[in-house]
Amino acid sequence: MATAIEPRESIVRAAVEPTQAPASWHAYTVVVGALCVMVGVYWDISWHMSIGRDTFWTPAHLLIQAGGLLAGISSGYVALETTFRGSDAERNASVSFWGFRAPLGAWICIWGCGAMITSAPFDNWWHNAYGLDVKIVSPPHTVLAIGIFAIVLGALLLTLAQQNRAAPELRRRLAWVLAGTGGLFIMNFALFLTEYSERRMMHSAFFYELTAAVFPFALATMGRAIKLRWAATAAALFYTAIMLVLMWIIQLFPATPKLGPIYQHVTHMITLSFPLLIIAPAVCFDIVLQRLDDRLSTMPLAAILGVVFVLVFMAVQWPFATFLVYSPIAHGRLFNADNFVYWMPPRYEALTRRFDPPAPGAWPFAVHVLITMAIASVSAGFGLLRGRWMTKVRR
Amino acid sequence: MRRLRTVATLLGVAIIASADVGSPNVIFDGNAGPYPVRVVVRPPTVVPGLADVIVRVGAPDVRRVVLRPVYARVGANGAPQGDDAKPVSGQRSVYTGQVWLMVRGAYSVYVSISGARGTGTAIVPVNAFAAGRLGLSRGLGALLALLGVVLLAGLVTIVRAASGESLLPPGQTLDSRSRRHANVTAAIATPVLGLLVLGGAKWWSSVDAQYQRSMYRPPAVDAAVTTAAGDRAAGPGRMLTLSLRDTASYRALLSAVIPDHGKMMHLFLVKDPDLSAFAHLHPIQTDSLTFSTPVPGLPAGRYRVFGDLALENGTTMTVTTSVELPELGVSTPPRDPDDAWAVTPVVTQLWPAASVPIANDRLVMSWAGTATPFHAGEITELRFAVRTRDGAPANLEPYMGMTAHAVVMHHDGSVFVHLHPMGTVSSAAQQVFVLRDRGDTTRAGRVRIDSTPAAMTMPAASEFMLPYEFPKPGRYRIWVQVKAGGVPWTAAFDADVVK
Repeated sequence: MATAIEPRESIVRAAVEPTQAPASWHAYTVVVGALCVMVGVYWDISWHMSIGRDTFWTPAHLLIQAGGLLAGISSGYVALETTFRGSDAERNASVSFWGFRAPLGAWICIWGCGAMITSAPFDNWWHNAYGLDVKIVSPPHTVLAIGIFAIVLGALLLTLAQQNRAAPELRRRLAWVLAGTGGLFIMNFALFLTEYSERRMMHSAFFYELTAAVFPFALATMGRAIKLRWAATAAALFYTAIMLVLMWIIQLFPATPKLGPIYQHVTHMITLSFPLLIIAPAVCFDIVLQRLDDRLSTMPLAAILGVVFVLVFMAVQWPFATFLVYSPIAHGRLFNADNFVYWMPPRYEALTRRFDPPAPGAWPFAVHVLITMAIASVSAGFGLLRGRWMTKVRR
Repeated sequence: MRRLRTVATLLGVAIIASADVGSPNVIFDGNAGPYPVRVVVRPPTVVPGLADVIVRVGAPDVRRVVLRPVYARVGANGAPQGDDAKPVSGQRSVYTGQVWLMVRGAYSVYVSISGARGTGTAIVPVNAFAAGRLGLSRGLGALLALLGVVLLAGLVTIVRAASGESLLPPGQTLDSRSRRHANVTAAIATPVLGLLVLGGAKWWSSVDAQYQRSMYRPPAVDAAVTTAAGDRAAGPGRMLTLSLRDTASYRALLSAVIPDHGKMMHLFLVKDPDLSAFAHLHPIQTDSLTFSTPVPGLPAGRYRVFGDLALENGTTMTVTTSVELPELGVSTPPRDPDDAWAVTPVVTQLWPAASVPIANDRLVMSWAGTATPFHAGEITELRFAVRTRDGAPANLEPYMGMTAHAVVMHHDGSVFVHLHPMGTVSSAAQQVFVLRDRGDTTRAGRVRIDSTPAAMTMPAASEFMLPYEFPKPGRYRIWVQVKAGGVPWTAAFDADVVK
């Protein structure tokens, strides 16, 4: 894939004149669209946890669709404008796609919008064939998630291409926009893994293996691509902030289930659990990259980042999970550890008050830690390569 | 039903029944407090799914009709507040709505009617099972394939641009080496993306296989007939034993059998293929999965076997098999006084007019319905009158708590349902919900049924009506049973149902 491509020598050598031009409206529009989509997804999950009733016309669905359409249509407009009426500067800052021209990020947004649209009839049929799903991870939802991922990625690339061409002052402003978009990028992974990130799973090897597969990739990408000293930290901070704000605000609204059976008599919107403490490994990623990025090649750097991720993430998430599961202080709106969905039967609620035991015949946990480090290293390696590629994107 | 059938035909839905065979729609005729009501529930073929509900209220003073889906394990306390059914324009006193059945198992639709005389609620039990598998229509398949190909081609193009042109500073053009590099990258990406799509298809297949494994099917059942020496005075008897059993993938019964109309099982035997003999028997339960009964009256031959069961979890089911009955030999007396059978080599058409002598020619059962053809997918009132030879109303007695019982079966055996004047619902399943709402439950969810639910008693009028919705066109056999002089009697009719 493109992430694994080393930049061509001829391209790297090419002189780049920094531009003073302001960031385009399109990049900001797409970032707003991506934000709408991610807030909509969070709201939709919360809606399913509290109210349950699902039609196409729920406000959360509309926000997701509006965000997707905002990104897709604005990108489509830019493509048409650049192709048929674009100035030389605009055409020169674009790439060719089936005879049309637009920045790479715009094409990725259009593609993402197309994937989201494709997922709609697929998901509708899926509900008719197998029943209304209460699962996040299903084939049509995966198509939707890939579309959403593409829109967030498109937003990142549109801003990145400008950052990479911009003069230092504009570059700094764009870098903060990028950090916010990077937060959405991390949030996308986190939401998709919600079903595998329950509190009771946070002392199991599988949880750490899964998180190691995605978050080092995201953090390493941000750490390299965004021209901020604390880039990964800033992206993780945005992720944490968005998740916390949504968690605290949405739960203020009253709600009652409209579907049954109701095992938990919900009176307000139930929101997702406290965000994962990705912020801790993110800080360490930045420290490692600040000190070693210029000195080491990708492979040893990825190995170090993988080990760092596992050690730091486990060091903070493990005791925090203990707190969330066992401490009465964790109950309540601040830490949200009693966010039981309306359909959770009492026997399952009891299971959430302890950690999942290891599966019979499972390997020793230390072996799993080593496996997790290996996974995290591979993930970080891909992230570093992708981050390097992103620093080279000019269009 | 017509719509459901059309969809089923178009998309290849295989409808497998639960408390019936091939007749999933539920009909209730009764009262919601002071209001006479008829409720039709058309359950979804997948769960979670939407059930269509049609309510016809036989009273003018109705202000509001509310539908609530109530799951048996939690009762009304764990049900949502419900939604208002909307009045149908142009049809007086008819309301429609939809309810979500979210999990598999026993639901009831609680139909609450408010009006000048207060509020009353009717409980209509519905089984929520995955009963159908929707095929992908050719049009939708083509659309998804087209979109998929466009997306894949677009992605390959994006990969090519991402590894080539996008890395160039504005104004520069790709040299041949960079272009070759971008092309190679796109060429590598193509099979990788293809593999990912194949992985997605594999995932879809595994979800589909898992779904098919979890679709409802009645438990496996073995039938055996013995002709052991029975009562010395009666001579050798003919005993039929039904043994339900678990299979590798399916557990026979998820909860205990409870009596319905006072019987642990309602067993029906229908002679194959000419339907010329019929019996409605009531086996005793010898252990949790075994039922046995003497088989009196019927001639030797091959028989279809249908066994209706009500379970403590609120579900109802029909088990089916077939059995070869040997010659009767000396008579086999019935074990249960409500056992009834009939041999009817010649059967008359129900419509437009039919009369069948019963009770040793002392009574006549006649069709008393309207003279219109029966249409599949529409509510049909099967109305009968029982009179003496001189035309006076017969003096009927309740038969297992009901004025009449009836069995409707498509001649090819694809539809089978046990009807009463109250419709297709099981009174035992209704009882489960009443007990649950009263709080007669344990924390684990089992209903504390210490004794059999009291058999319903209702006045045995000489004219009665059985509401039913024929699910598909074809020729149906209808056996109607009433009790007179302490003995149950059976009359058989044929009915042709058109589209």
